[in-house]
Amino acid sequence: MLDFVVVFTKGGVVLWNSNESGKNYASCINSLIRGVILEERNTESKYFEDDHLAVQFKLDNELDVIFAAVFQKVIKLNYLDNFLADMQVAFQEKFGGVAATERLGIDYEFEQEFRMVLSAAEKASVKQGKVPKAMRSYNESQKSKKTVASMMQDDKKPPSVGDKRVNIQESPPPPSKSEPMTPPRNNSDIIAENRRKLREKLTPTKKATMDSKPFKATVAAEKDRERAGKKPRVWDLGGNSKDAVLLDRSKDAPEDQQLQTINNELVGTMQGSIRDLDVDSSDDSDDDSEEEEQQQQQRQLSQKKPKTGGLLSYFKGIVGAKTMTLSDLQPALEKMRDHLISKNVASEIAGKLCDSVATSLEGKQMGTFDSIANMVKEALTQSLVRILSPKRRIDIIRDALESKRNGRPYTIIFCGVNGVGKSTNLAKICFWLIENDFNVLIAACDTFRAGAVEQLRTHTRHLNALHPAVKHNNRTMVQLYEKGYGKDAAGIAMEAIKFANDTKIDVVLVDTAGRMQDNEPLMRSLSKLIKVNNPDLVLFVGEALVGNEAVDQLVKFNQSLADYSSNENPHIIDGIVLTKFDTIDDKVGAAISMTYITGQPIVFVGTGQTYADLKAINVNAVVNSLMK
Amino acid sequence: MDNLNENTQDKKPIKLDTIDVTPIVAALLLGFIVVALYVILRRRSVGRRDFLLTGLCEAGKSAIFMQLVHDKLPDTFTSSKENVGEYVSGHMSGRLVDIPGHYRVRDKCFDLYKRNAKGIIYVVDSVTAQKDIRDVADSLYTILSDSATQPCSVLVLCNKQDQTTAKSAQVIKTLLEKELNTVRDTRSRKLQSVGDDEVNKPIVLGKPGRDFEFTHISQNVQFYESSAKEKQLSHLTDWIDRML
Repeated sequence: MLDFVVVFTKGGVVLWNSNESGKNYASCINSLIRGVILEERNTESKYFEDDHLAVQFKLDNELDVIFAAVFQKVIKLNYLDNFLADMQVAFQEKFGGVAATERLGIDYEFEQEFRMVLSAAEKASVKQGKVPKAMRSYNESQKSKKTVASMMQDDKKPPSVGDKRVNIQESPPPPSKSEPMTPPRNNSDIIAENRRKLREKLTPTKKATMDSKPFKATVAAEKDRERAGKKPRVWDLGGNSKDAVLLDRSKDAPEDQQLQTINNELVGTMQGSIRDLDVDSSDDSDDDSEEEEQQQQQRQLSQKKPKTGGLLSYFKGIVGAKTMTLSDLQPALEKMRDHLISKNVASEIAGKLCDSVATSLEGKQMGTFDSIANMVKEALTQSLVRILSPKRRIDIIRDALESKRNGRPYTIIFCGVNGVGKSTNLAKICFWLIENDFNVLIAACDTFRAGAVEQLRTHTRHLNALHPAVKHNNRTMVQLYEKGYGKDAAGIAMEAIKFANDTKIDVVLVDTAGRMQDNEPLMRSLSKLIKVNNPDLVLFVGEALVGNEAVDQLVKFNQSLADYSSNENPHIIDGIVLTKFDTIDDKVGAAISMTYITGQPIVFVGTGQTYADLKAINVNAVVNSLMK
Repeated sequence: MDNLNENTQDKKPIKLDTIDVTPIVAALLLGFIVVALYVILRRRSVGRRDFLLTGLCEAGKSAIFMQLVHDKLPDTFTSSKENVGEYVSGHMSGRLVDIPGHYRVRDKCFDLYKRNAKGIIYVVDSVTAQKDIRDVADSLYTILSDSATQPCSVLVLCNKQDQTTAKSAQVIKTLLEKELNTVRDTRSRKLQSVGDDEVNKPIVLGKPGRDFEFTHISQNVQFYESSAKEKQLSHLTDWIDRML
């Protein structure tokens, strides 16, 4: 069922693989690495789809390797999570001792372990389908390999939550699922019930007072669960014989007990001790199961780690080599998240970033002198740099030269919400292009806002005054293509491009009307504008002041550009202009939010009111002011 | 006997005075020389002994790395992290670093290792070189114009020569020179970046006013062909061996 299972290092070297179908899956894995791992998106799901294939993967930060399983998208394999976890354990067990420098050099014989883990995982998933045998096989598996044991534990946990809820609502005893173990429990339940009844009979009034105390906790818990309706308050050490019904646990106990036993399937091992307890049976069973779990975990741990020399391990305990766990990281991450939000990073993005950092650090070995806070900070800095670094070359002048050579104009479309500075920054970019000896045509496609065309006309006049035609071999450096108000923007842009083509103008800048991301008709018309004119670059203009709103804006712009375009390969936003950057001091979070959502680079930064106030982004400066 | 005793007693204080100084000076000198030698040797061994494998994605950097360091040819995917290994030739050795080619990571990673670089191997995919020449030239220009790489030797390795459509090293050299000329032009018109970054301002390559040529720049740039798949890396190993 699994087409391709592979273990490779973060450096990209394949250590071991198993290829069932003989096809080449390199492109699939490559797009996984480029689209998910390098984009710091490895938190959302450990699952990735590519064409008709799906990949599930797991990072191992201790050995710096990645486990990935490729399978057909149509097949739903629910055991993959556990399978990859087990594979990781088996892999660590076998190759964990290899020194870091030799990790690439040795041959990895993993076939046998892989087969074992895979068959175990498949078996477990089959078992999950038909639970009846679960308990017996659990006992068996406990004695067998620990990989199986760990899996059983993981497998059974999620369903247990569901079971619990169901059982609380309906009292009818054991579902047919667990038939093999019902008789003994039923007997004991009957005994317990009888005992209670007997006691009730003997001390009907005393019971309420005496038993209320030990029951306090459980009653409160029950009340919590049944918050739905308001209930009369029951005072401690109060009440009368009527309350006995409420406090009577005779009906409750077997139920609780049963759900515990179903959850853990430990009934067989608990039989002796639980039988005798009739008061706090549920609590105790809880403890017991916890103990059992702990024991099991300990067993796992002891099995996982091959025993080293006593002295050596003693020193190891003192001198570092501590593995980071998620709970260790949590406080530091929480702090970092707040810090990022205080720097105006959208809270959703801050959360995702921290999760991503957590996944990249979890399980990593920590040196003696490393503190968690520092490690988290370092990892976060690294992720931020990675996010802000463009994923492709941005060199507008080079591309404009190229299209000039091909004899067609280079087209840039500006879009964004109202009042972020589209026209202003268009004028700045226009100035920069003129300075670099391109002549520019501005297409006034904002046919809606009053004064929009006049604004551009004023800019054109100013720019032409700054760069008169005389200085440039009698070429008019900037022209305005205007068709008044109320016309179709897409049509104007198309005519403008055609005009530029005919008159050998190098660059066309298309100014569009500002629109809110929720305005469907306007978004449709923008999508049409882009589809019809097929520009070289679609720039989203966003202000650096924006906080959480950035997420919504960009997601919706991108979404509607993709949705409303009937093309198979819609042209979505491929660059960002960050405006009003001079107004935000060190709260540069918007840069992170925007690049994270789109995955696109910030091409220009607007930093003031004059034509010269246009900059490129400096990744290190932004990250420094973020982490300050 | 008395005379003898007297003689020896007389000689002792004189001896102490004369001999005391020279061995101390000698010892100090020796100690100083040893320390100085140690520092010099250490600095030499620490500074600049890395060979960096750079280039775009899917040029074959990781494959070459695995061949040189571990003599294996496994499948490779896009690297998200650098590979570091010891390259041994005879009794000499150097450190080989495989820098990821993906845009998101390569600059950061290159910054990390550039100060220790003795030689830079720029791997080019000879099949797609013409199509991707803008990207190839852009990243090569970034490397060459970095002030930290000025003392390095540079080898442009035209990989994947086993494929029939591969361009020869000579063709790639002409393509690159032409394109680097344009890049130099566009880079000079690039926008200033936010925040003052005057400290490590990139150098303008070549001789101003003349078309770019590899002979004009301070690094020694050589072009060789290779094929990692067919294990034809002798040019590369020779080049590294010469520098060790």
